[in-house]
Amino acid sequence: MKRSTLAFLKSQNLTLAAIVIVGAALIGITSGGGFFNPISTRTFFLFLAVPILIGLAQMITLSVGQLNLAVGAIGGFSACFAGVLVADLGLPAWIGGLAAVLVGGIAGLLNGWLVVATRINGFIVTLATMTILTGVQYGLVGTRTISSTAWQPIVDLGKASVLGVPVIFWIALIVALLLSFAFGHTVTGRRLLASGGNSVAAQLAGISNDRSVIIAHAASGLLCGVAAFVTLASLSGVNQSVGGDWLLPSFAAPIIGGVSLVGGSVAVLGTVLASTILRLVDSARAEFQLAPSWVNFVVGAVVLGTVALGRVREAQDARRNAPPPASLSTRPELTPVGDPK
Amino acid sequence: MSSTIALEANGLSKSFPGVKALDRVNLRLMSGETHALMGENGAGKSTLIKILTGVHRPDEGALSVAGSIADIHSPAAAMHAGIGVVHQERNVIRGFTVGENIVMSRMPRRGPRVDWPAVRREAKRCLALLDLELDPDTPMARLSSAQTQLVEIARGLYTETSILLLDEPTASISDNEADRLFRVVRRLTEQGTAVLFVSHKLEEVFAHCDTVSVLRDGRSVLESEPLSAHSRDEIVDVMVGRSLAALEVPERAVDRSRPPVLELSDVDTASGHRGVSLELRSGEILGLYGLVGAGRTELARAVLGLDRVTSGSVHVRGARVSIRSVRQALESYRIGYVTENRKEEGVFLAQSVTRNVAITVWSRLERMLGYVSTKSERALVQKYVTELDIRISGQRQLVGQLSGGNQQKVSLAKWLAAKTEILIIDEPTVGIDVRTKRSFYDLIWKLADDGLAILLISSDLAEMITLADRIAVMDRFAITGEVENSHDYDEMSQSIIRLIHGHAAVT
Repeated sequence: MKRSTLAFLKSQNLTLAAIVIVGAALIGITSGGGFFNPISTRTFFLFLAVPILIGLAQMITLSVGQLNLAVGAIGGFSACFAGVLVADLGLPAWIGGLAAVLVGGIAGLLNGWLVVATRINGFIVTLATMTILTGVQYGLVGTRTISSTAWQPIVDLGKASVLGVPVIFWIALIVALLLSFAFGHTVTGRRLLASGGNSVAAQLAGISNDRSVIIAHAASGLLCGVAAFVTLASLSGVNQSVGGDWLLPSFAAPIIGGVSLVGGSVAVLGTVLASTILRLVDSARAEFQLAPSWVNFVVGAVVLGTVALGRVREAQDARRNAPPPASLSTRPELTPVGDPK
Repeated sequence: MSSTIALEANGLSKSFPGVKALDRVNLRLMSGETHALMGENGAGKSTLIKILTGVHRPDEGALSVAGSIADIHSPAAAMHAGIGVVHQERNVIRGFTVGENIVMSRMPRRGPRVDWPAVRREAKRCLALLDLELDPDTPMARLSSAQTQLVEIARGLYTETSILLLDEPTASISDNEADRLFRVVRRLTEQGTAVLFVSHKLEEVFAHCDTVSVLRDGRSVLESEPLSAHSRDEIVDVMVGRSLAALEVPERAVDRSRPPVLELSDVDTASGHRGVSLELRSGEILGLYGLVGAGRTELARAVLGLDRVTSGSVHVRGARVSIRSVRQALESYRIGYVTENRKEEGVFLAQSVTRNVAITVWSRLERMLGYVSTKSERALVQKYVTELDIRISGQRQLVGQLSGGNQQKVSLAKWLAAKTEILIIDEPTVGIDVRTKRSFYDLIWKLADDGLAILLISSDLAEMITLADRIAVMDRFAITGEVENSHDYDEMSQSIIRLIHGHAAVT
């Protein structure tokens, strides 16, 4: 435990946590304490679950050097699929909830399998599946909104609280804890990070990079499915717009949280804290009735700033301990193994 | 000796597009022996190692381990067969700790969980074998390159292996550290492990190995022979291949009275060169010889303005210059550079021949609003396709589809199209088979005869002695001497090797 405490103090998590506290305090003071009343805090945590889950979903694909543009599409499709199962086909609510999670996982598995089997760039693959799933989602629900009354037990769960905090939020936190354990202490998690950190080294150590990619996409999809479940529990209904605005925050959270875009690292706590900051920005907008476009402006600017800062830090590190480059290129030494030299 | 065959390779062949990397290679490793695998750069050693460790699959030939046929289709399968390896490239995960890097091939676990105490314990054990006092929890990114190499070695010692492959493990570590490695190797061979040791260092090979195999141009030229039966000179001869060295060399006349076109005086660079002085005249081929890592490519980088010249002076055609970018080097001073990493830096594999060659001259061809006429582009490129005899089906053919030799010609053609007057050519024939090499040599001579000043970088001694007019020898980022090339192989190789190793002549 001592090691992780130390790491916490050194990392940017401390900065992020400070921003969360100061930000919450500022909104609290300027709203005359209204932000801290039980209803407000409940709403705050209720709608924090999805940002955390999709941020973590993106973090998993980033950890192996992939990305998942279909985060919102998988979530939206899973939620609507479950809605149709329960409302139109009359299946029990819990079957619908379970289906949402499973369908998400299967969609992710499909993404991973496509990337590995076709060797097509993950960007293109998930761009395509995003478009396809968004289309299917529209096909399923058209222009209607399926009311959540059809899955009342799940809605009841969404209303339940433990220790004054919505159960939904606990679900997100438990997922985060599980992921933290998986990446820190399981062989599978370490293998994903090895593949993302240096695929050649991983391959030479007998690790299958293909397997890592498939596992990462499947886990990412599964988390999108959980986010879909959370959506079923917290919204008054689902329609074709669910998931449409998930993409930017899903990248923003891990990037602000300190996850490297080239793979090989995760930052579960950082991602959770960054999601919280994004949620605070959104709360501030609601509190002061600013135009929603301001939120996008702020989030976009913060992401850009974080990445730029990361680049500066990287360049400093490189200057400090890099041997003189042996070749003309400034790229890292990642020649594909299949290449004779 | 009562030792048994640990590993046997029969008739291994492997081709990559445009080059036959291995041609019916045989190897027999006995348990308990240290077997040296030698050969020049590009001889096929790394390909052989990669086949033995499951990274590549052979096109033909069979492998057997301990007497039975082994199907080594992946690195995991190689490990399973008891083959451990220390790779030449340092393939570590910088984000992980030293300990985790060492045990990565077989993580100690408890169910799905990583057994961290065991990771540390095992890593400590491997580090102790090399007398290394390094905390397994140290982040990999914090190590020096020698320490990284030592960790790579420790990793090879982690699993119990009956066969250990060491691919140039001593390239970047001190003699002291190498001695520790050899102590471990001796202990392992006493226990019956078969060790295959790839090295360029004759001293090491003769001091520590029992048997030797030599590869040249992808073929076995010495097959598992006792080292005691050969002298160092014999080994060097079979490695280099006297036949190639004795190629007919055209009569070349370089007018030495002309002033140099490129002159470096007492140059220090940011990458670590100290007091480098060179003179290059038009029509001349100046060889820059040295071992890998001696600082030759880095010197090219400094001339091209990619690395800073910190003191001393660079003159081009008599005028003192300070070059800041490759663009400036090309456009103001007509200096070009043919890279050693053809596929990564020399050509655009997914582009046509036309685009690849014309890229350096677009600014010359462009008309209004940056429009480049396809006709003028094609006409210009055709001239060089004919001149260099580049074998293509048409200018639209993608460069990725060409053989290595033709790709290299495309890489070269773009600099000729740009009308360079000083051309730095870095390892021109790496990964190119022998038959194509000769036509390349003819081309380089012809370019020099046409008045180009050529700085030739090569670690292939025979190539150097064949091509260059003068040879400057570089060692550890300094020029240790310069010799006039007599094209007499014995004499030249002796004096060049003496310049690298100082007074320690090879006898």
